[in-house]
Amino acid sequence: MGKKSKRTADSSSSEDEEEYVVEKVLDRRVVKVSDPQEHNTWEPEKNLDCPELISEFMKKYKKMKEGDGNKAREKAESGKRKGLPASAEDIKAKKKRESNDIARGFERGLEPEKIIGATDSCGDLMFLMKWKDTDEADLVLAKEANLKCPQIVIAFYEERLTWHAYPEDTDSKEREAAKS
Amino acid sequence: MPVVHEHSERMKKFKNKGKDTAALRRQRVEVNIELRKAKKDEQILKRRSISIVSLEKSPSPAEEKNTIAPLSLEEIVEAVNGSNTSLQLQATQAARRILSRQKDPPLNQIIELGIIPRLVEFLSRTDNATLQFEAAWALTNIASGTSEHTRAVVEGGAIPAFISLLSSPHMHISEQSVWALGNIAGDGPLYRDALINCNVIPPLLALVSPVTPVGFLRNITWTLSNLCRNKNPYPPLQAVRQLLPVITCLLEHKDKDIVSDSCWAVSYLTDGSNDRIQIVVDTGILPRLVELMGSPEMIIMTPALRAIGNVVTGTDEQTQAAIDAGVLPVLPLLLRHTKPAIQKEAAWALSNIAAGPCQQIQQLITCGLLQPLVELLDKGDFKAQKEAVWAVANLTTGGTVEQVVELVQSGVLKPLLNLLLAKDSKTILVILDSISNLFLAAEKLGETERLCLLVEELDGLEKIEALQTHDNNMVYRAALNIIEKYFSGEVRELLLLLI
Repeated sequence: MGKKSKRTADSSSSEDEEEYVVEKVLDRRVVKVSDPQEHNTWEPEKNLDCPELISEFMKKYKKMKEGDGNKAREKAESGKRKGLPASAEDIKAKKKRESNDIARGFERGLEPEKIIGATDSCGDLMFLMKWKDTDEADLVLAKEANLKCPQIVIAFYEERLTWHAYPEDTDSKEREAAKS
Repeated sequence: MPVVHEHSERMKKFKNKGKDTAALRRQRVEVNIELRKAKKDEQILKRRSISIVSLEKSPSPAEEKNTIAPLSLEEIVEAVNGSNTSLQLQATQAARRILSRQKDPPLNQIIELGIIPRLVEFLSRTDNATLQFEAAWALTNIASGTSEHTRAVVEGGAIPAFISLLSSPHMHISEQSVWALGNIAGDGPLYRDALINCNVIPPLLALVSPVTPVGFLRNITWTLSNLCRNKNPYPPLQAVRQLLPVITCLLEHKDKDIVSDSCWAVSYLTDGSNDRIQIVVDTGILPRLVELMGSPEMIIMTPALRAIGNVVTGTDEQTQAAIDAGVLPVLPLLLRHTKPAIQKEAAWALSNIAAGPCQQIQQLITCGLLQPLVELLDKGDFKAQKEAVWAVANLTTGGTVEQVVELVQSGVLKPLLNLLLAKDSKTILVILDSISNLFLAAEKLGETERLCLLVEELDGLEKIEALQTHDNNMVYRAALNIIEKYFSGEVRELLLLLI
């Protein structure tokens, strides 16, 4: 409150000066002389500790507004500013298809029939999948195939199992041959 | 006789000396199985003319040229121009591989081979789907380059060929065609409109269905967005009317890439004259866009914000539609976003809403937008601050005296005056303009002296005074004007007394 009182005190002490000032100013522009007794201020609301004064303040403005009638100020132009320039966020206008984009077989919605090959050229293990009712085959991720068609994956691996076939039989056969 | 000795004697007669029988047997069995497998695969693959080598070996990009595709560029040309289908396919696939490597594919080199027209021919080879596919992929990648590269593809006659392929019975081929057409459309308005005139839209839209796989749908959405893209000229109105219903639908999809690209499409369509904006507003899409503005996914939020930002550059009615759709409560979060670009675009949108009639300004105030505005002005990214300055200017121009008072009460003056130190002349001018407007409001209330005091207290007077010697003509005149009008000699003395 100290600051405010100081100002108030100063205003009152310069009241005489104020009148003097206003007269001078009247030469330049038309002004509604404010009542120095009012505590109206332009300070941010949070700096004020007198809410009653604020509402008085607002009441006064409302009165003023009514007196004014409609908003006096004309809007100069439309004020809208179009088209912010494009930023780096924009998506690519063109896209290249790279090799590692290839394993999208399941997305085509076909039914898997049989795995006919495997490769890991792109880092992940992939199967070449032949699809039902079509002559086509393309790559699918092994991870996906393991979940989506495990039996087909098993069939692929089973077909390619290698055995240590009949060691005793062949062994004894050879020994038989040797003995004779 | 020792068995060992007999054993080893017998061993010498075998093909692989020194190996014991077990190992040998294992080896034999493995070799047999390998041979069996290879033979079977070869038979299956021969039917598709795919090289078996592509399956068994791991071709690194470097290796590829030497071991896997031993075809030299000359050999590729020869095979492509020849009449042997199998060789044509090998060559096209080799070209595709070269063109799809990750690092700097040699587009110019491939174009110089002059094989583009031939590749375009291969697109219509319904007798060999693999050939069509490989050619489509190769051409897609050439078209993904510069305008020159895309032109080479278009001049080879690719447009009608790809449009035909949209109806291919093979989904991977129609998908590849969608991709290629997306690249061509993305080059610019000329090719975009060429595609539209060749009637690309109906077969393209026909591919969109509830059973279209997601990956395919992503490609379609992206291509559709490119058909909406670019100005000078805008896409034909008729085309826009055809595309909008589908885009509106795709905006509801659950895949975020599809939603993102749909938002981008809408942002392109709203980036224009007010009649273009109206077409979009009429679809009733605004509430969905506002919803997406609040998405935590950046790839969705960014274009949604852009689209709404574009809409509020329109008429007061169009802006009202955006307000009615709920844009105001979403803005505070975006004004406080960590990414400067988002802050900037949110502030830009706010500034345009603030350029509306005082009823809209009131809605702005009621939704609590003054506080985040002041915060942004105080500590936002500079680009965002520039937009915020415009918002303040518009508020001081279009706001009622009451609203202007609320603006000042929200604490806007301090950061506003601080920005007078900015290097950007335009920004300074806008601030000075705002200050003039504040004084005009003050005049109506007879509060000019109070405002002077406030300005001086916030170290604003010294900044404005300093601007009287600014390089920019308009800046120093505006500053001078304010000083002369409101900080006249007597007031000055008054202020000096108070310090």
